[in-house]
Amino acid sequence: MAQRIDLDAAYGPSEDVVVREVESELIIVPLVAGVGDLEDELYTLNETGRAVWRRLDGLRTVRAIVDELAEEFEAPAGAIEADVLGLLAELERRRIVARKS
Amino acid sequence: MKAARVVRTEAEFMLPGDALSELMREVLAKGKPFRFKARGLSMSPFIKDGDVLTVTPLATAPRTGDVAAFLHPATGRLVVHRLVRKRAGRYQFKGDNADEVECGLPIQRILGLVTSIERKGREVSLPPRAGRAVAGLSRTGLLRKAVGAARRAGIRRRGRA
Repeated sequence: MAQRIDLDAAYGPSEDVVVREVESELIIVPLVAGVGDLEDELYTLNETGRAVWRRLDGLRTVRAIVDELAEEFEAPAGAIEADVLGLLAELERRRIVARKS
Repeated sequence: MKAARVVRTEAEFMLPGDALSELMREVLAKGKPFRFKARGLSMSPFIKDGDVLTVTPLATAPRTGDVAAFLHPATGRLVVHRLVRKRAGRYQFKGDNADEVECGLPIQRILGLVTSIERKGREVSLPPRAGRAVAGLSRTGLLRKAVGAARRAGIRRRGRA
């Protein structure tokens, strides 16, 4: 079952992931079962996903990230919040991000 | 603003140039194995184009006959070849299907050892300790001649059938 994402918590890249920016794409390799597996497990994020990822520093809360994105994209915070929570839930389910505080 | 999305993707369509070797280095630096699809014919017939290789971080110094991943000193490209000779602390590699022995590398340039080869979903492997014999044949060029002769014989047999 997916964990609920806490708006007042900070998240960051998991220890079990290797991330590299390649030609403006963010390549994410989770170390699934202890293996960096390019054949079965390789992910990228779309532009909005990358904007969220850049802020996942383990210090900023999810709420702070939502506020920053609402300002940057001039979009309603409610819609952005739902979007960020959905992305974080998926990244956490895939063990790409982890709660840091 | 588009919805944020995580996209599962295919490595061979995504990774240009040295990105593969950079990802491999980072995964191995964490002490974890790295699994990826091999491209090229230089290690044929033991590794074929499209085989899936698992490279494991070095635990001990490589032995003659081992197949290792390293960065080519001249091109910087990721190469997977067989260790055919150790001399004065340098490691000389050669593709089983290549002509020349590469110049000696220090151990620091060796990224890891190939510990698994999968072909069409099944693991393929050499008998234990066979790597050293293969290295000797590869170094002298006899391996290519033997494989070539075996292929020609196979073609002739099929031709007669």
